[in-house]
Amino acid sequence: MTIHRTLLIFSAIGIAATANANSLISPGPQAKIARSSLAASPTYEWNKLRYRGGKNVEIWTMDGDDLNKVTFYGAIPVGQPIFREANKKNAPLPRVTANMLITDIPALLESTYRVQLNTSQMNIDSQEPTLVAGYKGIKFTYSFVRQDDEVQRKGEAVGAVVADRLYLVTYEAPAIHFFDKDVEKFRQLVTTLKI
Amino acid sequence: MAHRPLISLSVLTLLSSSPALAQTNSTTLPTYTPAYEPRTVDERGLWMEADEDERALRDSPLVIRDEALNKYVRGVLCRTVGEDRCRGIRIYILEVPAFNASMAPNGTMRVWSGLLLRVRNEAELGAILAHEFAHFELRHTLAAFKHQRTASDLFAWAGVIGGLTNTNVGLLQWSLVGSIFRFSREQEEQADLLSFKYMAASPYPASAEADVWQHIMAESDETAIGRKKKPRQHYIAGFFDTHPTPLNRATYLREAALRISHGGDSNSAAYYQATAKFRPLFLADQVKLNDFGGTEYILGQLASTNGWTGDLLFARGELYRARGNPRDLVSAAQFYGDAIKTGFSAPEARRGLGLSLLRNGQVTDGKAALTEYLLMKPDASDAKAISALVTN
Repeated sequence: MTIHRTLLIFSAIGIAATANANSLISPGPQAKIARSSLAASPTYEWNKLRYRGGKNVEIWTMDGDDLNKVTFYGAIPVGQPIFREANKKNAPLPRVTANMLITDIPALLESTYRVQLNTSQMNIDSQEPTLVAGYKGIKFTYSFVRQDDEVQRKGEAVGAVVADRLYLVTYEAPAIHFFDKDVEKFRQLVTTLKI
Repeated sequence: MAHRPLISLSVLTLLSSSPALAQTNSTTLPTYTPAYEPRTVDERGLWMEADEDERALRDSPLVIRDEALNKYVRGVLCRTVGEDRCRGIRIYILEVPAFNASMAPNGTMRVWSGLLLRVRNEAELGAILAHEFAHFELRHTLAAFKHQRTASDLFAWAGVIGGLTNTNVGLLQWSLVGSIFRFSREQEEQADLLSFKYMAASPYPASAEADVWQHIMAESDETAIGRKKKPRQHYIAGFFDTHPTPLNRATYLREAALRISHGGDSNSAAYYQATAKFRPLFLADQVKLNDFGGTEYILGQLASTNGWTGDLLFARGELYRARGNPRDLVSAAQFYGDAIKTGFSAPEARRGLGLSLLRNGQVTDGKAALTEYLLMKPDASDAKAISALVTN
């Protein structure tokens, strides 16, 4: 009886560990990304991180999130920040607001990064209109340096506000080598987005 | 049991090793040793680490390398602590939008851009730089390192001896932990005292450091109010605080300044002029920190020096537009308009005005302002996105 109970406990721990582990995203349709109506159909393998960073956030990477990562922000409602706030009392994050313009989307991302990730240097490098899953949105590029590692990173993103909910997908990687290495895979992924 | 008095004695010595801020009227500076070299194993180790950090710092993308700004900040330090003292110091101005400066044991001084935005004149900047220099001159990093090592040794030995003798040493261990933080606070007081002496010997008013802490408290209160919290200042530092509270510092520094009644010119106009080139960058960094109350206070302080200039009005417009309540958008449009009226020529004022109006439903006027922006800056990085807003 004792042996059975021990085995049961170890099995439960094993199952819990598996449930919490990073997982493989195989090529093909992926639904309910970031616990939302966001869907995509990658043609490459990605790794989905267990760490999410927020209720409606999902992170995919190829070589590790410091080297390349795609972050999905799915259906963030008005009044909510895009990340889970690390220090709500002393460093509250900006919120999604009603009647945001497309140019407010990169501004929201920049402000959020500056507060939560200490990106004391960040610049939105380009902004242009685009269709995100058929909805009017924005495509933008950016660059930033976090205080903790001082690596110069570049980013590219598409975002749209649909029915008062923000949908945003970003790709980030170090400016040296990694950004260019996988940016086309991100662009291909963006073409398959559905809301 | 025989060891207990010995431990207690050591702890008492440790806990009482630093004096409080001396209540003296003397403003005589200690003798300074230029080109000081580390003397002990501990000190050489700390310097080696600081040298390594400085090599990385020298190549950091966060360093602002503008020659004129660096020369100016160095000049303020030298006028405050004296030419002989400042000669060997390397100053690195970093684009970090928070109020801070620090100094490493090897003479590396880091100055954050948030400090340059907040101080209102040369005297206030000099006071903060002098405080950091005082830590360096008093070799506080070394003393803190040794104190922490001794305290942690005693902590461990107290645990061992307490276990062997079946004695509860929890209170003693807590006292040791507390002593580390108290030691840090006492070092801050010592640095305040020495920097006050530098100020007294400088052409700047000695009350400047007290002024800085008063403004930091006021900003902190405004930040709290802006976040719908109660503003609260404490006189007594908490158990884990590494610094005396701003209220405590403002009080004892003001008292010290009154005792010597040292006047001087703060050089507000020169400071405003010297930092003008970088103020738009510093303001832009601050505005994006989602701190409405604190940023409003900083803008108000800057305006109190030279009035509401175009760059301040523009930054205020950006702040209100970022918060984005309907009433904020009305105010933002007003501030952008006022900035344009003052002759503020940056095309971004038209951009902000247009976006504020557009978000508040004033479509025709908003599109007109955005069209002006595109005419003024056709190759803007967001030109395509703004064009889309105009044509939709």
